[in-house]
Formats: sequence, C-alpha cells, structure tokens
Amino acid sequence: MSTSSKRSRQLRARRARLRRRARRKAAVAKLSPALHALTTSALALPGIAGSASAATPISEYTAEYGYSQYREDALPSSKVAPGQERERYEIDIHQLRLAAPLGQRMDVTLDLSHETMSGASPWYVDFDQQSGRVVQVMSGATIDDRRTDALLQGTYYFDRSTAALSGGFSIEKDYRAFNVGIEGTREFNEKNTTLSGGLGASFDQIDPTQDPILAPDRPGREDKQSASIFAGVSQVLSRSTAIQGTATYQHARGFLSDPYKRAVVAGTPLPDRRPDQRNQLALLARLRSHFEALNGTLHADYNYYLDDWSIEAHTFDLAWHQSIFDLLRVIPSIRYYSQSQADFYAPFYFAPRGDGLRASDYRLSPFGALSYRIRGEARIQLFELDLGLNAGYERYESDADLAFGRVTTENPGLVSFDLFSIGISGRF
Amino acid sequence: MSRLAALLLLLGLAATSLPGCASVRPWEREILSRRDMAWEPDALEAQRRNHIYFSKEAALAGGGGGGGGCGCN
Repeated sequence: MSTSSKRSRQLRARRARLRRRARRKAAVAKLSPALHALTTSALALPGIAGSASAATPISEYTAEYGYSQYREDALPSSKVAPGQERERYEIDIHQLRLAAPLGQRMDVTLDLSHETMSGASPWYVDFDQQSGRVVQVMSGATIDDRRTDALLQGTYYFDRSTAALSGGFSIEKDYRAFNVGIEGTREFNEKNTTLSGGLGASFDQIDPTQDPILAPDRPGREDKQSASIFAGVSQVLSRSTAIQGTATYQHARGFLSDPYKRAVVAGTPLPDRRPDQRNQLALLARLRSHFEALNGTLHADYNYYLDDWSIEAHTFDLAWHQSIFDLLRVIPSIRYYSQSQADFYAPFYFAPRGDGLRASDYRLSPFGALSYRIRGEARIQLFELDLGLNAGYERYESDADLAFGRVTTENPGLVSFDLFSIGISGRF
Repeated sequence: MSRLAALLLLLGLAATSLPGCASVRPWEREILSRRDMAWEPDALEAQRRNHIYFSKEAALAGGGGGGGGCGCN
C-alpha cells in the first residue's frame, strides 16, 4: 500500500472517530445547557474515588489491562532465626478494567483482578540467645494461593449530582469478602465546589488452612464485618489548582487477629490475639496544581491516620507529572510513611498481658517507609483507537530508623519490595 | 467519634464558606480538565498501590469507601 493511500485511510478513520465522538457529546449536551458548556471539560473535578468524571457519564468505551510483579526482599540472615533464610512473598497481579456508557445518564465500570502468590511469610518473632538478637521465624512451608477480586459500579448522573452503587467480592482459598457501597457527589458554585460522601460495608469470612502438627491450636472458621463512611469537599482554587479534603471513618468487628501468626509469651509461641473491634479514622488532603510554563503538574497528598489500637500514622506522597509534547508523560514520585505501634504489640512478651492480647506482627510495629517510583506513559492514535501504554517501577524500603519517633527494638520482619508494572488501555 | 463529628462539622463549614473563594468559569477549565489534574489519573495503579500498602502497613488510606478485605500476609 502506498504511503499516500495509507495516510488518507488514516485520515478517514480519524474523521469517522471524531464524528462519532461529536454525536455522543451532542447526545449528552441535549441533557442541559450547563452540561453542554462543560462537555469539553468533563474531566474537571473528578469524584472522590478518582473516577474520570464527576459531572457527565463517560462517552467512550474503555478497556484497561495491567500486569505487575511484586517481589519482597529476602530477609538478611542477621534478622532471621538460623536456617530460616527463605524467599518472601512474590505476587503476580493481573488487572482488567472495563467501562461503558449506559444510556445518556449512566455509566458502568467493572474492575477485575487476579493475583497468584507464593513464598514464606513471617510467623513469629523470637530472641536468639546465641547471637543475642531479635530474629524472625518464618512460616515453614511456602504459601501458594490465588486471589480473585471483582468490583462492579454503576453511576447515575443528575444535572449537578451523581449517585453510585457498587458491589464486589474478593476470594482466596481460605478467605472470602463481599462488599457493597453507595456514594454521591453534589456540585455547587458553578461546579467549583464538590461535596462527596458515601457508605460502605464488607462481610469477610476466613477459613484458615489447618496444620495439626505445627499449629494444632489454629482457629477454625471466623467472621469479620466492617462499615465505613466518608465525606469530602473538593474546591477549585484557580484555573490550574484544585484541592480536596476527605474524612473516612471505619468500624470493624469480629475476628481481627491473624490466624497464621503467633507471638512468643514467656518463651512459648502462642496464637496471635487482637481486640475484636477496631475504629479507624483517616483524613486525606490532596492538591493538584499545573504549571503551564513547565507543562507539568504537581500532585501532593497527605494522609493522617488514627485508630483505637493507638496507632497513629502519617503518609506524604509527592508526584510530578511531566508532559512531553502531550504524547508522553514521565512521572517521578516519592512517598514517605511513618506509623507508631499498636498498644498491645511487642516483638515478644516476658509474661502474658492482663487482657490476653498479643501480636508481634511487623504491621503493628513502629516503623517508617520510603518509596520511590518512576512511571512512563505514552498515547498513540491507532486508526479509531486511542491507545495508551504505561510502565512503572517502585522501590519500597521500611526501617525502624525511618519512623518519626525513636524505636527501641526494630521488628525484624519489616518488608522491602520491588514492584514492576506495565499496562495498556484503549478508548473507542 | 467526637473527633469525627468535629471534623465533619469543619468540612461542612469549609464547604459553605468556599463558594466565595473561586471564580473559575466553565470555559476556563481547560487545564482543570487535563488527565494529569485528576485526583487519580490511573485507576488501576491507584488500586494496586493502595492494596499493597493496605496489606503491609497499619493505616487506612483516606479518600472513600469500596473494596473488601483480604487475608493478605
């Protein structure tokens, strides 16, 4: 095929695509003059969950696929019990997102993910008298598991409001969770202010794999329920800057322990035992600001967390989205996290606590974490398809020395990992 | 709970006082409509990262509901 005929075919396809888009936008514009005025800026002020549009339904079919490899570092021999050097967790993650308009005022999104996991995980922490060090004892056998997660969300668009319903599940060999949610947004002040709010609930059941030899006292089938509520406000500050604040509260009750972990009490490893209730509060503040002279956008997020297990945490996340000729985008970013310990946590216990609680899980220990990310994105017009490609890498390292406060004994099980990801998306 | 109630009250007050502080018209929203101005420009990446942090840290990430738990180790 000659170059000129190929070019004219591409041009015809592009015109057809533009006509189709124009028809869809015109259909949306019939809804109201206000929506018509905003058709070209439908992405402004997206909702709390980060959906593409708070004001209008999506006008194109979208399919996105992502593949990621999560690899935890093996623990150094100085941090594990003798002979316990094992590969830690490795997870392969497949993600698929499909979104479609449904009539003139609705759209629907389906998120699917499938993970395959393998490797050893921390079991309990002990004091090694030979070396005089606190060491991690790992799970004996390699864990092999799969997790499938699905979430379906439908959103209805009123003139200045949205209402969304969602439902989903997460299933593993030994764990099932079902969740439902409802959320809404309301725009004010010529769409410069958006209030958001929502409710969610999750019903989880764990049926631990039994090990009569190593853990004859492992719990049987247990349940957990959680309910959450959030409220937020987004505000446009200028033509190129917007901020958002959100408060999220979650209450969980039921079996909140980890059936696969133990804690050493007076020299004996006993099953992990945590309170049967937890109240959590998260306050999130976000800023998005575009710098025209640099053709780049700053993302700054801060999350404050507090719960009634006495854990307080701070998360800072900074990202710079550098556009290059509007076809490529390079996004370097950095994240810092610090948490204090749960009040009943200890690496190990010399004597039982009065309330019978015990946990030496590194996730309840005091630590800080630093992660660096780099991501690249490219957009390509391929006939009628608006194609997106992306690739990213993240390095995450946690350490007691990175925590805000002073930590006397570092949990030896703290995790560091690499995350590689690639993705492809298409709009048509 | 009292902290939460105070915070919700604060958010409400902020929301009612904000209308006076911006005057960006619909036709001035070209920059705000850029993909890199979205709160979460890539939903898949946000889901993946939030799930990993949720599995490895104690904190709950703010920003909304949705999604279930897991038996993550």
